[in-house]
Amino acid sequence: MLDSIPSFARLVAELAKFPGIGNKTATRLAFFLLRQPKAQAEALATAILDLQNNTRFCSVCFHITEQNPCPLCCDPGRDEALLCVVEEPQALLAIERSRSFKGRYHVLHGALSPLDGIGPEELKIDPLIDRLDKGSVQEVLIATNFTVEGGATALYLAKLIQPRGIRVTRLAYGIPMGSELEYVDEATVNRAVEGRRDI
Amino acid sequence: MKLEVSSAIILHHTDYGEADRIVTFLTPDHGRLKGFARAARKSRKRFGAALEPLAEVQMHWVSRSSGDLVSLRDADLVKLRAGLRRDLETLTLAGYGCELTEVLFDDSGAGVEVFQLLQAFLDHLDSEGFSVEARLLLEIRMLSLSGYMPHLQHCADCSSPLPAGQVSFSAFHNGSLCAECDAGRVAIKVDRMTLGTFGRILETPLTRFSGFKLSPQSRQEGQALLNDALRCHLHRPLKSLEMLDRFSPEE
Repeated sequence: MLDSIPSFARLVAELAKFPGIGNKTATRLAFFLLRQPKAQAEALATAILDLQNNTRFCSVCFHITEQNPCPLCCDPGRDEALLCVVEEPQALLAIERSRSFKGRYHVLHGALSPLDGIGPEELKIDPLIDRLDKGSVQEVLIATNFTVEGGATALYLAKLIQPRGIRVTRLAYGIPMGSELEYVDEATVNRAVEGRRDI
Repeated sequence: MKLEVSSAIILHHTDYGEADRIVTFLTPDHGRLKGFARAARKSRKRFGAALEPLAEVQMHWVSRSSGDLVSLRDADLVKLRAGLRRDLETLTLAGYGCELTEVLFDDSGAGVEVFQLLQAFLDHLDSEGFSVEARLLLEIRMLSLSGYMPHLQHCADCSSPLPAGQVSFSAFHNGSLCAECDAGRVAIKVDRMTLGTFGRILETPLTRFSGFKLSPQSRQEGQALLNDALRCHLHRPLKSLEMLDRFSPEE
C-alpha cells in the first residue's frame, strides 16, 4: 500500500527502527510529521544531525557530552575524592536529577553478564582503574542496577578496587518513597529490613 | 485458555522492546519454557524481583494457541537466594548451572529430576558458596540425566575391564578406552581411581551436595573429563564458561 509513496514508506521504515516503535506507531508518527509545517520537520532533522555531529563520549568519565572533558568533569565545585560508577548515562542523569551527589562520575556502558558472555573487556573498566591509580579518589560509590548483572559488576569492581586502599560503597536498598509496605515485593522488604538503621 | 501454575526457577531473561521481557524458566512438570512478560521492566507491581535469574518462583501463565512463547501472568517470589550474590565466584557458578541446564535440555527434555537437581545445587551454593566439587557434581549428574553419560568403568570400544593406573578417556569415543583401543590417539589421561570416584558419586542421591571432598588429582582429572564430555554434547559453547574459568579461585 505504501509502495506507491516511497518517501513516506522510507520514513516509516526508519521510524520503526526506534526502540519500542512498531509499524503502526511509525505510520502514525509519519502522518503527524506530514501535517507539520516544513520548519518543524527541518528542526527535527537538524536536531538529529546535530546530535550525531556534536556529541561524543567524555574521555574522562564516558558520559555523553558536546565538550571534552564534559562539564561534570570540569566543574571545580565537585568533590574529586568521591567517584560514582554507573552502568549507563541514563543512570547518571537520574542521580543528577536527585541533586544528592556532588562527586565525579564514571560510566561503564554496560554491566558484566555471565549468562550473555559480556566480560570486563567490553566495559569501561580499564579507564576507571587508570583514573583511580592517579590517586585523588578516596571513595567509589558503585551505583550499578540491582539486577544479577549489576550485582556481578559491583562484586567485580569491589575486588579490583579494594586492594588499592580505596573505600568502596554501594547504593542502599530500600522501600520507595510514598509506597505502602503491603505492595512492596518480598526481596525489597527483605533487603530493607537487613539494612535498617537507627532514627 | 487454561491458567497454569507451577514452581519454577528463572534461568535467563532477555529484554524485549521498550518494557517487555522474555523469560526462560524451568519447571518440574512442564520442562523448560519461554514466556513473554509484558511491561515487566516498566511496572514492578506484577513481577517485582521475581523474574531475576536464579530466583525460585510460583509462576502463573497461559499457553498461546500458536508459537513457543507462553504468556506470563504473575510470578510470586518463593526464594531469591541472596547468598548467591555474596561473591563473584558463587554468582558465576550459579549462572553457569542455569545456562548448562538451559542448553543441555531442550523444551521437553527436562523432567522433575533436573528441576530437583538444579534446585538443590542453587540451595547448596546459597548456603555454602562456591566449590569445585559442587560444579563437578552438577555436571556429572546433568550429563547422566541427559543420557550423555560416557562409559567410565570399562572400555567404551571393546567393553573389556580397565587396568589400574592411568587410562585414556575420549567423549568422542563414548568414554574410557583400554590401551589397545586407544592406540595412542587420545590425549586425556585419567586415573582409574578418579573413574571409580565418579562411579560412586553417581550412586549418591541426586540432591546431595554437601559432604563431598575430592582430592586435587580427582578434581583436576574429573574436570578435564567433564569438559570433554560437555564440549562433545552441547550444541553451542556456554557463554558463562569463560567467566566461570576466569573467576574461579585457582587450585
